[in-house]
Amino acid sequence: MFSAVTGNLAYLLGGFLTNVQLAACALAGGIFLGMLVGLGRISTRKWVYRPVTVYVDFLRNIPLILVIFWFYFVMPIIAGRPLNAFVSAAISFIVFEATYFGEIFRAGYQSISRDLVNAAYSTGLTYWQTVRYIMVPIAFRRMLPSMITQSIITFQDTSLAYVIGLQEMVRRTSIVDSIEVRSIQLYSFVALLFFIVCFAGSRVSRYYEEKGRRANVL
Amino acid sequence: MIEIKNISKWYGNFQVLGDINEVIGRGQTVVICGPSGSGKSTLLRCINGLEPFQKGEILVDGISVGDPKTNLYKLRQRIGMVFQRFELYPHMTVIDMIALAPMKVKKKSKREAQAKAMELLERVGIPDKAHAYPANLSGGQQQRVAIARALAMEPEYMMFDEPTSALDPEMIQEVLEVMIDLSKEGMTMLVVSHEMGFAREVADEIIFMDGGRIVERGTDEEFFKNPKHQRTKDFLNQILK
Repeated sequence: MFSAVTGNLAYLLGGFLTNVQLAACALAGGIFLGMLVGLGRISTRKWVYRPVTVYVDFLRNIPLILVIFWFYFVMPIIAGRPLNAFVSAAISFIVFEATYFGEIFRAGYQSISRDLVNAAYSTGLTYWQTVRYIMVPIAFRRMLPSMITQSIITFQDTSLAYVIGLQEMVRRTSIVDSIEVRSIQLYSFVALLFFIVCFAGSRVSRYYEEKGRRANVL
Repeated sequence: MIEIKNISKWYGNFQVLGDINEVIGRGQTVVICGPSGSGKSTLLRCINGLEPFQKGEILVDGISVGDPKTNLYKLRQRIGMVFQRFELYPHMTVIDMIALAPMKVKKKSKREAQAKAMELLERVGIPDKAHAYPANLSGGQQQRVAIARALAMEPEYMMFDEPTSALDPEMIQEVLEVMIDLSKEGMTMLVVSHEMGFAREVADEIIFMDGGRIVERGTDEEFFKNPKHQRTKDFLNQILK
């Protein structure tokens, strides 16, 4: 009944592993860069605020699939040599997701009172020490549910990397399908796997949201 | 010594501080009072460089706060500050919060910083709260933690910005007692407060501010018995009622 899936399971799951790896790179890079982007968005220095805002506004208003495409064709010109599809996709995702995580961090930073930051400064902490020990941890905790939601979206979006030929799960499924011609069971299987991971993620997010509300710690 | 010379500050066209002059000598306690919006808090923030000012000069032990070449991060290590709304770091336990700046700024070992933090918690009377989070403390306890956090950097000056005005009445005294002890031990203090009992007990000088200017100043005796200006009299009548 599920012969097309079971017969190609290792190949398909190998593709799924690529999705997981791509999501891991996108999240690690996107969250780190987003931390800085968020700082740029609340900067009082125009030469910081303006370019960062242009970057965020630009990327948030074009579809991710175009960014993936565009990077794939432009990167070889910048790098001087062709990049493999995974590296190219990972860079596109980091640059793209950083704008979304950047806005989440911005909201988190803005939830911190001016005087809390002043209190940190008044003990002699420098700007970067205040960012690292006070602002980022507080913003991260307060925005955790939004971060998890955005991470789930990122994970779903990794399948878009099929457009540049990355051998992720959707791409491999279409290859298997072109041989086996079992579209319904093959794509249902893909959908099921994505659903399980993302649903679990959304439950985790809900848990932290509830916990934050109840503990009232932050 | 803190020397404030002719400070003026504007927000756009609105003047928040006008020609403030004041000298705070070593070991002195100066209390600033005045209606809200009179620029008291802004003045404190100018002294440790949290707010810029447009005119005049502030010298802390001879170091000019307004000079762009001054390392403000370094200067602030000498001036502890306590805020009206405590401003404790919500994600840290009390002991970690107090030890943070000594570890990161003064590069003390964790052990040394935490031992010092415990000592300070004993001093402000809440050693049992070392591992609590701010959300689980009463207002009075939170403010005492905030004082300990400032003292951990072994500052030469302490500034208090209305330290008791966000507290329930029954908690005011426990915070004031800590401040009175500090003052009697010889800490140089600049306190924005309407606690006139506190001012009477420890202030070497009381300043009344209104509309961004110093209207009147005096030792506690002259200030309370014979205020010279009508505005000071009105204000004292209001708060001593």
